[in-house]
Amino acid sequence: MLVYVIYLNFLERKSNMSKINSAIYEIHHMDSLAARNQWVNRIHPLVKLIITVFYIAVVVSFSKYNIAGLAGMIIYPVVIFQLGDLSFKDSIRKLRIVLPLVCFLGIFNPFFDRQIVTNIGGLPITTGILSMLTLMTKGVFSVLASYLLIATTSIEKLCYAMRLLHIPAIIVTQVLLTYRYITVLLEEANRITQSYTLRAPNQKGVHFKVWGTLTGQLLLRSMDRAEKLYESMSLRGYAGEFYYGNKVPCKGKDYVYLFLWMGLLILLKYIPVITIAGNLFL
Amino acid sequence: MSHIRIEVDHVSFSYEKGNDIIKDISFSTDSHDSIGLIGANGVGKSTLLKMLVGLNLDFRGSIRVADIPVQKHTLPKIREKIGYVFQDSDSQLFMSTAYEDIAFAPRNYGLPETEVIRRVEKALDAVGIPHLKDKQIYKMSGGEKKLVSIATILSMTPDIILMDEPSIALDPKNRRNLIHILNQFDHLKVIASHDLDMILDTCNRTILLANGEIVKDGDTKAILSDQKLLEQHGLELPLCM
Repeated sequence: MLVYVIYLNFLERKSNMSKINSAIYEIHHMDSLAARNQWVNRIHPLVKLIITVFYIAVVVSFSKYNIAGLAGMIIYPVVIFQLGDLSFKDSIRKLRIVLPLVCFLGIFNPFFDRQIVTNIGGLPITTGILSMLTLMTKGVFSVLASYLLIATTSIEKLCYAMRLLHIPAIIVTQVLLTYRYITVLLEEANRITQSYTLRAPNQKGVHFKVWGTLTGQLLLRSMDRAEKLYESMSLRGYAGEFYYGNKVPCKGKDYVYLFLWMGLLILLKYIPVITIAGNLFL
Repeated sequence: MSHIRIEVDHVSFSYEKGNDIIKDISFSTDSHDSIGLIGANGVGKSTLLKMLVGLNLDFRGSIRVADIPVQKHTLPKIREKIGYVFQDSDSQLFMSTAYEDIAFAPRNYGLPETEVIRRVEKALDAVGIPHLKDKQIYKMSGGEKKLVSIATILSMTPDIILMDEPSIALDPKNRRNLIHILNQFDHLKVIASHDLDMILDTCNRTILLANGEIVKDGDTKAILSDQKLLEQHGLELPLCM
């Protein structure tokens, strides 16, 4: 945990933009990515949601020592990064806070599971190391799959897909409005900190004496903005259900995409592609 | 759009007990009125507008819109007839693109998507911003957001337009465009604004508020050329005078 905190501090110092501006920029950038007209962006959102959930379910279902089988699942993120014209480096940068936490999950496994299974270059590989690597890989793949879904599908289309799956309207509306209101909260925080900084030029950060006041102001102003947004929605006929626009049915290419990926993922689950490829070349 | 009116009868309102923001005001409108609501900062212009659409319901007295009393259970009916433009565009716009925001109201009213598309395009053309259709809201300037805000209510084809400081953040060309749009809308309009020149160009009737009360209600030219009256209540003559 100490290492993680030091890592977060390192990230903070490296950044030239303020943290809040950076967070607002990241959210808007994700909206921009999702709004592009790439081929994978045009796939029906329900299909992409189903494939993402299926992919994560298949990844998680691998046994804890089956790192070789799991490695084959990298095919999906690699292909989608290409089809979506997305930058892998960019995704790692955006996920720099979440990924270390995910990798941290299996960090204690080598201490509890010490049976040696093989040696690589003189280094003993225990079942604990295998399970740690498997857990980390599962976490990274799942996070990447979620990132790819959000980077290729707008939040409105995702919510539309969730409604098609008959997820209750109240839950879907919560998801949509939470996403929209995060930027409201961040923008208010940004205004407050900018105003403070411009009038406290010799200070680094915000003095602890005003933390309480500023936090209270942030809460009140965010609640006020959120209420105004709700008023605006009510004045334009909102009655609890969002209508997500053009209800385009799934087309032939969407079904082909869905069944191709599901078939491939099932194949990767039961056929160790990486092992076979390794045996062919070694 | 049909022709309807607003009736405000002995209405008072306060945010805190014992401190009335609006004090016993009464007025009624004709269906073709274009009313400018003017007054110094903090006199209750925005508060009054909000009461007309039921955003502040804890008032004393009676407000009727199209002969429907403004009460909690009648709000959906009343709000279908009224387009309200907030002072702060960031409070009005909450979808990702201009198209989605302008389509929000028509979709909520159950219109088919073909009709939604038609209304959105018509609204964008009316405010002169068809090129902003797919632009993301967060990338827009203050002026562009204000125009999109106006388009969001035009797509509702309202019977009444209420606007709170609509000309803020607009450059001269877009301000002139706004005046043109308002003059083309021949149904009831109530516009709260400090831009007295715009009020002069768009409103036939003006209500001057001070200390929560109606000080003067009458012909726009007569009120806005009365320098003594305006200065007495924290205002000045329009720039063109």
